[in-house]
Amino acid sequence: MLRRIALILAALTLLALMVGCSKAPEAEYQSAQAAMDAAKTAEAEVYVPDSFGAAVDTMNAAMAAKQEQDSKFALFRSYGKAKEMFVKAEEMFNNVASEAAAEKERVKNQVTQMLVDAKAVVDSAAMALQKAPRGKGTKADIELIKNDLTAVQSMLAEAEGDFNSGKYMVAKSKLESVVQKAHSIMDEIAKAVMKKAGK
Amino acid sequence: MRIRQRFLAAILFVVVIFLGGSSCQKPPLGSLQKARDAVKEAAHAGALRYAENNYRRAQELVKKGWLEMARQNARLAPFRDYKKADSILVLASQAAGEATQISRDLIRNLDSLARNERHNLQIELQNWREALDGSLENIQAEKYWAAAFLALDISDGLIRNGECEEAMDAVRKGRESLRQLEDAVADYINDQARKIAAWRQWVRETLADSRAEGTHAVIIDKSSHKAYLINEGELVRSFECELGYNSAHQKLFSGDGATPEGLYKVTKIKNNSRFHRALLLNYPNQMDLNRFKNNKARGIISRHARIGALIEIHGEGGKNKDWTDGCIALTNEDIDHLLKYVSIGTPVTIVRKSDQWP
Repeated sequence: MLRRIALILAALTLLALMVGCSKAPEAEYQSAQAAMDAAKTAEAEVYVPDSFGAAVDTMNAAMAAKQEQDSKFALFRSYGKAKEMFVKAEEMFNNVASEAAAEKERVKNQVTQMLVDAKAVVDSAAMALQKAPRGKGTKADIELIKNDLTAVQSMLAEAEGDFNSGKYMVAKSKLESVVQKAHSIMDEIAKAVMKKAGK
Repeated sequence: MRIRQRFLAAILFVVVIFLGGSSCQKPPLGSLQKARDAVKEAAHAGALRYAENNYRRAQELVKKGWLEMARQNARLAPFRDYKKADSILVLASQAAGEATQISRDLIRNLDSLARNERHNLQIELQNWREALDGSLENIQAEKYWAAAFLALDISDGLIRNGECEEAMDAVRKGRESLRQLEDAVADYINDQARKIAAWRQWVRETLADSRAEGTHAVIIDKSSHKAYLINEGELVRSFECELGYNSAHQKLFSGDGATPEGLYKVTKIKNNSRFHRALLLNYPNQMDLNRFKNNKARGIISRHARIGALIEIHGEGGKNKDWTDGCIALTNEDIDHLLKYVSIGTPVTIVRKSDQWP
C-alpha cells in the first residue's frame, strides 16, 4: 500500500517537473516582440538594415523553436532552446535600436554642422555684399549678385525646414549646393571689388 | 521462438518505416535560406521605401514558412510533410523578388524622370535666355532666373544622392520661378504697349521741331541702346550707348539705376568730366516732378525717396553692358563727335522704344 502511494507520488512529482519544463516562454516572447517594435520605431530597418535583418531571423528561429514544442505532446515539450533564443533576439533588437539611434544621431550631427557652416558662409556673403563698393560699373554687378544671394538664402531656409522635419539626407544635398553657391557669390563680390580698385 | 521472431520482425519493420520516413521528409532548409537571402536583397534594393507592401508580405511569408516547418519538425518522422512549408517559402522568395524588382524599376524610373525633368528645365532656361537676348537684367526678373538656376543645381545634387522624388520637387520649384519670370516679362511687355503711343508722339514731335527750326536734336532709344543725332529732322548719325543698370523702366527715384524717359534739353556742357566729357540734362523736368509727387502720394515709392539729378550723356562707354546709375554713356570718340553738333538747349528725347523710326 505504502509502496503504491510512493509510486503514485513519484509519478506525480515527475509529471509536475515535466510540466514545469514545458512552460511556454510567453514572457520572453513578449519582451522580444516589444524590443522588435522599439527597434522599428527607432528606424533600425532604415539605418541598420543588415543588423535588423539578423535580429528578425533570430526572432523567427525562436518562434519556430517554440512552434515545434507547441506541436508536441505536452509531456514531451521543452522550451529551453526557444526561451534562450527569445532572450537573444531581445538583446539583438535592443542593440540594433541603439545602433540606429547612434547612426541617426551621427547623420543629424553631421548635417547640423553643415547647417551651421552654411549659415556662416551665407552670412559672410551677405556682409561682403553690403560692404561691396557701389560705384558706376559695379552697381549693376552688385544688383545681379544680390539676386543670387536672395535665391541662396531662400534655399538655406528650405534646407533648414527639411532638417527640422528629419529629412537629413535631403537637407544635406541642398546644403552642399548652398555652400558652393555662397562661395561663388563671394568670388563674384571679390571680382567686383578688384574691378573697382583697378579703376 | 516463433513469437520472438515475429516480435523482432515487427520491430525491424517499424524501424525501417521510421528511417524511410525520415529520409524522404527533409525540412526545406534550402528554400528557407533562399527566402531569407531574397528578403535581404529586397532590403538592399530599397524595397522598404519603394515597395513596402510587397516587402512586408515577403517577410510575413518567411515567418509563416518557418513556423510551418517547425510544426512538421514536431511530428514523428514518418508523419512529417514539408510540402506546405516549402511552397510557402518559395512564395516568400517570389514576393521578395517582386519587391526587389518593383523597387529597382521605380528607382530607375524616378531617376530617369528626374534627369529628364531637369534636362527639360535646363533647355527651357536656355531658350528663355536666347529669347530675352540679354534684356533679362532690364526686365528686373533676374531674381527668378537665379532661383530657377539654383533649383537646377540642387536637383543635380539630389539625383546624385538618390533622392529622386526630392529632385523632381526641386525641378518643380525651378519651373515655378520660370513661370514668375514669364509673368514679369508679360508685365514688361504690357507696360510697353500702354506707353508706346506716347513715345512715338515724342519722337514725331522732336523730328518735326528739328525740321521746322533747322536745328540738331538727339533721340535716345533705350531698347536698342542707340543715340541718334538728328539735323533738320533727318538722321545724321547713330551711336551705340550704354544706360543705367536698371533701364527697362522709367526712372522713379534717385538710386534706382534707371535712365529717365522724357523730353529734355542740354543745360550744361562739361569738357573736363570724370567721364571724359559730358552733357548735363534738365532732369527732373515738370513731368518727372509730377510723377514723383504722385508716386509718393500713392505709396509706390518711399516717402524718404529723392528724385535725383545729374543725368548726363557722357563718355567712358564701350563696356558692352548697362552700368551707369541712369546716365547715357558713349565711347569717348562718339561723345567728342556728338559735341561738335550739340549745344546748350539742344533737345534730347529719351524713349524706351522707338518702333516707327528711324
